[in-house]
Amino acid sequence: MEKYKILEHISDLKIRAFGKNKKELFLNVMIGMFEGAKYEKEEEEIKREIKVSSKDLSSLLVDFLSEILYFCETNREVYHNIKFKKMTDKNIEGILIGKKLKRMGVQIKGVTYHDLDISQRKDGIWQAIILFDI
Amino acid sequence: MMISKKDFIKINNWLWEIPKSFREDMKVPVRIYISEKMLQETEDEALIQLVNTTTMPGMVKYAIGMPDIHSGYGPPIGGVGAMKYPEGVISPGFVGYDENCGCRLLLSDYSEKEIKPYLNELATEIQKEVPSGLGKGRKVQLSIGQINKILEGGVPKLVEQGYGEKEDIENCEENGKMPDADTSCVSERAKNRGRDQVGTLGSGNHFIEIQKVDEIFDERVAKIFGLFKDQVVVMIHTGSRGLGHQNCTDYLRIVIPVYPKYGIKLPDKELACVPFDSSEGQRFFRAMSAACNYAWSNRHMITHYTRKAWKYVLGERADLKLLYDVAHNIAKIEEHEVGGQKMKLIVHRKGATRAFPPGHPEIPEKYKEVGQPVLIPGSMGTASYICVGTEQSKEAWYTVNHGAGRTMSRHAAMRAIRGEEVVRRLKEKGILIKCRSMRGIAEEAPLAYKNVDEVVEVVHKAGLSKKVAKLVPLAVIKGE
Repeated sequence: MEKYKILEHISDLKIRAFGKNKKELFLNVMIGMFEGAKYEKEEEEIKREIKVSSKDLSSLLVDFLSEILYFCETNREVYHNIKFKKMTDKNIEGILIGKKLKRMGVQIKGVTYHDLDISQRKDGIWQAIILFDI
Repeated sequence: MMISKKDFIKINNWLWEIPKSFREDMKVPVRIYISEKMLQETEDEALIQLVNTTTMPGMVKYAIGMPDIHSGYGPPIGGVGAMKYPEGVISPGFVGYDENCGCRLLLSDYSEKEIKPYLNELATEIQKEVPSGLGKGRKVQLSIGQINKILEGGVPKLVEQGYGEKEDIENCEENGKMPDADTSCVSERAKNRGRDQVGTLGSGNHFIEIQKVDEIFDERVAKIFGLFKDQVVVMIHTGSRGLGHQNCTDYLRIVIPVYPKYGIKLPDKELACVPFDSSEGQRFFRAMSAACNYAWSNRHMITHYTRKAWKYVLGERADLKLLYDVAHNIAKIEEHEVGGQKMKLIVHRKGATRAFPPGHPEIPEKYKEVGQPVLIPGSMGTASYICVGTEQSKEAWYTVNHGAGRTMSRHAAMRAIRGEEVVRRLKEKGILIKCRSMRGIAEEAPLAYKNVDEVVEVVHKAGLSKKVAKLVPLAVIKGE
């Protein structure tokens, strides 16, 4: 199964991500976000704790990604994996695994709610469509 | 839902209306300043986004589209909406994540011929002085206390501290400082992100360009603006960087859960808004004002570093005067005439620029006779324009577009052309390009944008602003 696809959008970065469960979906949205905006990394591995609470699943995805972008910018890191300790429709706790940021293609300014959609397909695969302001 | 030609009412050759009857939830009609040809080329999604914005409570008269309209998130880019004050709404998504993204133009005393031998050195020095702030920020990290001073004091505070000149204050929209800024409304996270980014350029379509005055359309206004043919000028395009992005993110998180409690129904969550006079509305306005002050301070400090580079190459006497600085992502309280009566409005401009007419009290004394200078940057390597505000744009709340507007997605642009090819074509035209990598260059290729000459022609003919001068690039300095 592919992790994500880049969708057509005239000015911003829009992706459709997939996962066999919600954890994998959230991970793949994160990977799609960084790869879509061409964030490049160094070798050394870094771990960072993340804890997010929101009112529902779609807000959780936006808040989770916004938190990651905050960590990315203030620590100059980029992440490629997550060890989930807890994941519900309203809460995430886990460890982000990443590397030092080398450079980026274009900076992600924000994670938007525009056209945001999270759903489970008939075949059980979870999918998310999300637009980033760049 | 699709929009077809029959849904539009033609008001005149440059103004089109989508009436309220188009969709049940519209509270006011849509009006777009555009030519018939460009209207046909506009994506449906951008038009639907403008229709969506008409559902925001308290919108006065119309949701307005500018000729560079294209789809974004929530309201389209090139969208304008004025709400009743103080009970109408204010919306973080109608300002955008890059709060007070904007443009400024610096004027030199030199002609192209005089600068030519130094051009490469100038571009190199400017690039050295002004980092992108992405991979790494500036070497100096400001304290939270220093950030607070910038958020509250804006450009005047920096001038007081010895950066720049007194004229830099009056030649900036709002005198470089929104008075309602309140640092206690801005999160620590936002402030943290701002600590090493004052005087940094960012990425995407942000740039510094060394340009020349290629053509003058209005000699009288050009003279008052201090422009002459072949004059070398410097344009700076950037915004509030990570601080503004975080501020918008923070307030969407606050506003989205609460707007239904105010009885607001919206077709897109990204339009999330609250009454201006609510506690959340007040806090957002004060925080956004602070982020706007940060953005003006950012452009002001980039000016300081650009002047430093300029003097380093050309000598101490070489100077760069600020013509004007205008925001193009902002919400402000302004006084306008509605139905013959003066009233205060909450004006949102997203990818749109304020353009006050002659005699307006909020423009500098020296420009009062002719109107506010308006800056319309083109895409990378194409022409930019200096225009002047007119009385005819009253119906558009004295607003003009903010650039050329995209016509092709970044992804499509990358498929259409390689970064190296874009650079080669610019070089062929004699334009120097300084970028740290080829990444992101193809996405900003001129072929991904509308033709700026055509866009400005619509602006001029629709009376949104009058053309004063055309600028063409000599050197482009990209953030990343």
